[in-house]
Amino acid sequence: MRVGFHEALDQLEASLQEEGSLVLRVLRGAVTALVGHDLELADEVIAFDDEVDSRYFAIEEGIQDLLARQTPVATDLRLVLAVLHINLHLERMADYCVTIAKLVKLAPDVAGDPTLVEGFQDMGARAEEMIELAMDAFAKRDLAEAESLVELDELIDRANRRVVQHVLSLGSDPKLQEWGLRMMIVSRCLERIGDHAVDVGERVAYLVTGEFREFTDASR
Amino acid sequence: MSAAATTLVGAKPRGRVLGAIFMGYLLLSLAIGFALLLWLLVDIAATGLPYLDQALFLNDPSADPAIAGARPAILGTLYIGALLLVFTVPLGVGTAIYLEEYADKERWYNRLLELNIQNLAAVPSIVYGILGLAFLVRGLGLGRVLVAGAMILTLLVLPVVIIASREAIRAVPGSIRQGGFALGATKWQVVWRQVLPAAAPGMATGSILALSRAIGETAPLLLVGALTYVAFNPSLLDQFTVLPIQIFQWTSRPQEEFKVLAAAAIIVLLAILLTLNALAIWVRNRYQKRW
Amino acid sequence: MSAAERIPGVEVRHDAPSESALREVVFDVEGLTVAYGGKPALSGVSLEVYKNFVTAFIGPSGCGKSTFIRCFNRMNDLIPSATVDGTILYHGEDLYGREVDPVEVRRLIGMVFQKPNPFPKSIYDNVAFGPRVLGLKDGLDDRVRHALEQAALWDEVKSRLKESALSLSGGQQQRLCIARALAVEPEVILMDEPASALDPISTTRIEDLMDELKREYTIVIVTHNMQQAARVADMTAFFSVEVDENRDARTGILVEYDVTTKIFTNPSDQRTEDYVTGRFG
Repeated sequence: MRVGFHEALDQLEASLQEEGSLVLRVLRGAVTALVGHDLELADEVIAFDDEVDSRYFAIEEGIQDLLARQTPVATDLRLVLAVLHINLHLERMADYCVTIAKLVKLAPDVAGDPTLVEGFQDMGARAEEMIELAMDAFAKRDLAEAESLVELDELIDRANRRVVQHVLSLGSDPKLQEWGLRMMIVSRCLERIGDHAVDVGERVAYLVTGEFREFTDASR
Repeated sequence: MSAAATTLVGAKPRGRVLGAIFMGYLLLSLAIGFALLLWLLVDIAATGLPYLDQALFLNDPSADPAIAGARPAILGTLYIGALLLVFTVPLGVGTAIYLEEYADKERWYNRLLELNIQNLAAVPSIVYGILGLAFLVRGLGLGRVLVAGAMILTLLVLPVVIIASREAIRAVPGSIRQGGFALGATKWQVVWRQVLPAAAPGMATGSILALSRAIGETAPLLLVGALTYVAFNPSLLDQFTVLPIQIFQWTSRPQEEFKVLAAAAIIVLLAILLTLNALAIWVRNRYQKRW
Repeated sequence: MSAAERIPGVEVRHDAPSESALREVVFDVEGLTVAYGGKPALSGVSLEVYKNFVTAFIGPSGCGKSTFIRCFNRMNDLIPSATVDGTILYHGEDLYGREVDPVEVRRLIGMVFQKPNPFPKSIYDNVAFGPRVLGLKDGLDDRVRHALEQAALWDEVKSRLKESALSLSGGQQQRLCIARALAVEPEVILMDEPASALDPISTTRIEDLMDELKREYTIVIVTHNMQQAARVADMTAFFSVEVDENRDARTGILVEYDVTTKIFTNPSDQRTEDYVTGRFG
């Protein structure tokens, strides 16, 4: 019954997962460009964002069509709304990666602090892990998996705070200082990507339980 | 609390009494009609049974009640009945189909036709007798024969058949016709394959009831020349008599036995009529359509 | 005017299943006006109906959508007081041309009605009626079976083909009527509010059926349930009533005709917007 409608829903979900893989590629690209100070790769990342954006608009259009024409209710409705939000979170994550890439280009060509750079590699890997986990939780409708994102986010948050400390201790070389400031923003971007991944997890929880709930409150 | 209780409890007593009286009146009407019919039947049966034997069916009429029979009359009735069906059904059904399916109801001649049929059903039967005498017996020169009698009875019951057939055709919902047309059927195909088969039971019922009415008719047949004394088997172009006339003839005889014979013949006539009516009801019930 | 120009706001999406260039026109309606006894019920309708599409006509009651759909198979011919002006071209041929046989028209353009109207015959005879009437006597059994399969009814009735069609449920009866229409192998199937007399589950079944049937046939439906149009139709035409106070006349007009998504997400005409949002009607 209503085969066309269910196929459309499945297709929407599949598109979203595809967008998720694209975002992962973008993130990896951005982090690699950052670590290796690869300006060419940074340009590629910036250009690739268009791919993500076009996916984003296509999914939005698909949601609009589905809501207008099929009047989904119950789980179907929650799925469509979840897709709507996750779509936005993914697009924002990609935008942050673009910001990182732009910062790579803007940052002065200095040796930088290897510890910090290593730290970014870890943060990047963590963020990647979170995105994968979030999309997997969505695919499997796994509440536990979604909730586990909070802990991972904690790690990124701590790493972010350490970066601030580190930058403050970089010394008085103006170029190094500029580099440090730029890197703080990069760190902030990675931290925000983590937050968005948690948001995706919250949407998964909403889809499964029907309740609107934040995993943690802002005070922590 | 108690206010609610009283409003729920009872209708006004006055209404109830009137209701009971009305019900009583209805039952009384039913009882009277029923009782009269029952008394009639019982009386006839009691009177006629002694003479309800083979002689009644096999013998010719005679002055001697012991050997008198009603064979020619019974045959006459049966022949007229058969001829009636052959004449009225095609004519009646055909007219009904034309009026319902093909006629443009706005036209004056169709409206005239419509009006006439209603009127014809109300004409007294003896008028048909006179008509028959003038046009069939004398005008066409048929003479006072069985066929003429059948023809005049046809005219008598034709309006009934037409009206019953029209009702049966009208009872076929328009949606059936629309469905037929939408599939690419022509008008003729829709009438022949959908409307007629669906209306057939109603038409059959109407025809059978018309037949049973005609069988009981006496006046027109008398005028057309049915004799009161026929002692031979009638054929189509012969002089003839029918059961009601034979009964009439016997009741006008002085001897007491003839009255009994008449009662016996009445039983036969009633049996024929009741059988026909039962057949009509059976047909109607069996083929009742649920739309 | 080309088809694309006539339909306002039709964007060719890169992933749309049909580009306007690929759409084959089945019906080309131009300035159609239908009047009953001189009073116009429908006025100046122009649109194109595309092959293998589901096209829906929606609008408030009295807007002439049923009158309109009945023009496509010349069922309005059966109403003596009805007059039809303007043209309907069926694959380029004038449907109301002098040489055109309405019987042939109805063979190619079938119809299913609002209230299921199975004939008081057996299930088999119902489906076989069309072919028999058109003289297609060969392979009748196969035809009947194929039609019933296409109407998603075969499995439910295959063991009782000789039983009366009236013993079926409402939803089954409607599918039987669809099978009946399919048995004569039409190109187009017109449906006048096909599910309005049915319960929700039967309705969904009929809608699913439309989705399948449109692969082989072209479907036009009239529905007073606009959500149904949103679900099943590729193109939607919105009709409304124009009231002429002076002459006390209510005439149906075509307000907007477009891809269904557009009608329900961003209609061009305010009247359409008012109707689909429920602010009027």
